[in-house]
Amino acid sequence: MATIGNGSATADWPGRYFHIDQILDKPGPRTDPGFSAGAEARFKLSFRKPFIVWKVEVKAFLRDQAKILVIGAGGLGCEILANLALTGFKDIHVIDMDTIDISNLNRQFLFRSKDVGKSKANVAAEFIMKRVPGVKVTPYFGKIQDKDDDYYMQFHLVICGLDSVEARRWINATLVNLVDPENPESLKPLIDGGTEGFKGQARVILPTITSCYECSLDMLNKQTVFPICTIANTPRLPEHCIEWASVLEWPRIYGDKKMDTDNPDHISWLYKTASARAKEFNIEGVTWSLTQGVVKNIIPAIASTNAIIAAACCNEAFKIATSSAACLNNYFMLIGTDSVYSYTFEHEKRSDCPVCGGESLDFPISRDLTVEELIEMLTEKQDIQIKKPSLSAPTKQIYFQAPPQLEQATRPNLEKKVSELIPEGGEITVTASTLPFSLSLNVIYT
Amino acid sequence: MMSPETQDIEQATTAITEEAPPDRKTRRYDRQLRLWAATGQAALESAHLLVLSSSATSTSILKNLVLPGVGAFTILDNAVVTPADAGNNFFLEGPESIGKPRAQEAVRLLEELNEGVRGHADLRNVEQLLSAGKSELFKYTLVIAHNLPQSQVERLSQLLWEDDDAPPLVIVRSAGFLAEIFIQQHEHTIIESHSETAPSLRIDKPFPALLQYAQALDLDALDPTDHAHVPYVILLVKAMEKWKQEHNGLPPQTYAEKKAFKEAISNMKRKIDEENFEEAEAQAYRSWTETKVPSEVAELFDDPKVQTLNASTPPFFYLLAALKKFAAQPPYTLPLSSTLPDMKASTDTYIGLQKLYKDQAEQERNIFKSFISPGVRIDDDLIDSFVKNAHALKVIRGTSWNSIDKNTIALGNAAATSPKQLAIHLALSAASCLASKAPAPSQGELPVFTIEALTQEAQSLLPPGVELPEEFEFTAGEIARSPTADLPNTAALLGGLVAQEVIKMVTKQYIPIAGICTVDLIETWTGIL
Repeated sequence: MATIGNGSATADWPGRYFHIDQILDKPGPRTDPGFSAGAEARFKLSFRKPFIVWKVEVKAFLRDQAKILVIGAGGLGCEILANLALTGFKDIHVIDMDTIDISNLNRQFLFRSKDVGKSKANVAAEFIMKRVPGVKVTPYFGKIQDKDDDYYMQFHLVICGLDSVEARRWINATLVNLVDPENPESLKPLIDGGTEGFKGQARVILPTITSCYECSLDMLNKQTVFPICTIANTPRLPEHCIEWASVLEWPRIYGDKKMDTDNPDHISWLYKTASARAKEFNIEGVTWSLTQGVVKNIIPAIASTNAIIAAACCNEAFKIATSSAACLNNYFMLIGTDSVYSYTFEHEKRSDCPVCGGESLDFPISRDLTVEELIEMLTEKQDIQIKKPSLSAPTKQIYFQAPPQLEQATRPNLEKKVSELIPEGGEITVTASTLPFSLSLNVIYT
Repeated sequence: MMSPETQDIEQATTAITEEAPPDRKTRRYDRQLRLWAATGQAALESAHLLVLSSSATSTSILKNLVLPGVGAFTILDNAVVTPADAGNNFFLEGPESIGKPRAQEAVRLLEELNEGVRGHADLRNVEQLLSAGKSELFKYTLVIAHNLPQSQVERLSQLLWEDDDAPPLVIVRSAGFLAEIFIQQHEHTIIESHSETAPSLRIDKPFPALLQYAQALDLDALDPTDHAHVPYVILLVKAMEKWKQEHNGLPPQTYAEKKAFKEAISNMKRKIDEENFEEAEAQAYRSWTETKVPSEVAELFDDPKVQTLNASTPPFFYLLAALKKFAAQPPYTLPLSSTLPDMKASTDTYIGLQKLYKDQAEQERNIFKSFISPGVRIDDDLIDSFVKNAHALKVIRGTSWNSIDKNTIALGNAAATSPKQLAIHLALSAASCLASKAPAPSQGELPVFTIEALTQEAQSLLPPGVELPEEFEFTAGEIARSPTADLPNTAALLGGLVAQEVIKMVTKQYIPIAGICTVDLIETWTGIL
């Protein structure tokens, strides 16, 4: 493997870039005037004032210098790696903490049956280097949170093909925090894709310049959450019985033993338990597949949609790296269920975005609201969604989730009213261990 | 509360037949079976696709069809791998593939993606296929052609248009950042359109059992817990009965009356936070919105095939004819759907209500069945699916590829309504015309299309006096810049779009494009022309 992937050392054969060079040898009618193909050219962000300028030739930059990070080597990641390699990126890094599962094989086309159980990042990197000569793919089998600012600083571009909101928020905040106005190279364009069934979206985020991932949190589909009293007392749907089995029965029977949704024995137990409850209540429709779908929160996924979205993402990466055309400003969504419908628009930056906005968020609450209720609100509110938040005021701690001593010390505050602790117009700082940023709330009593 | 008699004894005592854990194949396809189910998968697995050329775009399309498990595919291509192919096609092995038959290399590498799929390389050229006649083409489920020379695509289109039951033809054209997709087909009928609109619960026209149940229920006699768990459907039926008694049998008409109706529901609450009453208020519109046959479905009743049923008419139209008869009877609706959305209710009231709907749906399905022309044998599963999806049935009737650029009037109209989309189509058509007039450039060379020549060709496709859209300047400029570029990203995007369409066509689920889907990857948008 190491003998193949030695970067640009492998010679490009004549004619290799016949197709791509048609774009890079001359500008098009809508190409930014800053692009001067063949001669001295620039890598810059082309739809606002230029502020990143590398004085190198476009092809040389793309093929010898550009260093790109791909986050996720799953459905989108496999596609992204292949596209980047074919377009001429030669120094690609990929991070993924997952291993290959049989259910990945209907779309993650760099993996075969024999690869089940292996690291996605490693297998994908090896496959790309074998198939596309001269491309170096450096895998990291682990979490994005393992890496520090210096690591992210080395890349020119980051593309995300993730299925986790949490991971996206983390990398988004990390890249926004990385921006140093004195150092143009600290601005790393972030291209993010996501799919669900026949639908998907791709977007370009220029940290601190355009709207960021956090700015658009309220666009996420709200997850169906079944009230615990329905699950416990008045089940009506097969899903209610499955939730009962996993949320209430599992801990009752197995105590602290962790449920593993990838373990067929565990799913089998949940399925049987849910079926028995459904029978008791005359509810139809508990199946193995539904049980798995509910407890794993499975999102349907197909190769074709991933191909569309990954291509859209890589096309933006290519345009940004070469300035051969303006890049997407800034959001593209596609729905393939009824004809092909797509919508391209500029998502607006939020001035009160906790990551890139700078302003604190006006937060109207009742004078009777307790700290505990406030925490629940922060968890559920569509534009905040912070799990397990810790709260503090400028001069005092309100509630901390950890460490245990601090949690214990602040726990009595949970029952207090927020208005007893914070004056009108006072500020509450919200933090969470999963998020590398804090949110400032400007409390207004209604 | 529901009386125990209404519970089906058999249903309550039938043992649950326990499923075994899914097999390997089901696990492999799990994420897609959640979209198109076993029926869609079976249709996909019995399909055999023909793809003309093994360009980067063609192999990208195939990749996305081999992965989900299309039955078989054939690539027809007599080309030998060039250095350019080895650079932009993921289903070739770089320089090692140069000089080898391109279709063979692509088939070998595509087959690796899925052991369940058979691939064939046909090393003839398109001319040979065309002169072999129709029977060669008719054995395929669907034919896909990418960037075929104009004369070939015209003949192919003609061959596949002459017969009503010829396989659909998907035509894909691309150059650089621009592309278009067109599906040539006479007729495509869809039962499982996966509409996001839910069928009517018929609260405005309650069926006898529902009305009876609602009337018999004495809200005042319920204890507080039961009162807070009466399903909103029942509350609305009850409230509407009362309203009608007080308003000459009429539902609320004006905004003020509708508001008063909602207030009446709110006043039925015993406690401020009874969620079932809140749901009833929010869903109140369902009780005064008349349940009718949706206009798109009603239009299908006039379809010529419904008027002239004969031995060769597909079952879909026999079912449509039966539906038309059903809808001509009171209560002038489609058969009731048995699916009840979740709502605040106790288990017993919800399951009881669900049973009322199921029983009524069953009755109406039997009435529907009695309207199907005698002597026509239609599978019960198909009938069930048809009834279940009756509110979102769809028929697409297409045009031939060859007629598009001859229809100067339609193109002229599009100049006003969809200038951006038209600009892409005209630029690709103009390039195709120019290419057919000049000798093919040798390997590694580019054809020279000047903007002037492209403009002239495009202008000749429009009626006199209609100007080219302003955007044509851009699209022509892009074509002149990259006349033959099959860019990896464009190829991958088209690969996804076309595969989605093919899956929709083959499974007869979801709704494929009608018209031309144009793609601009500079501004990153798609649009239907």
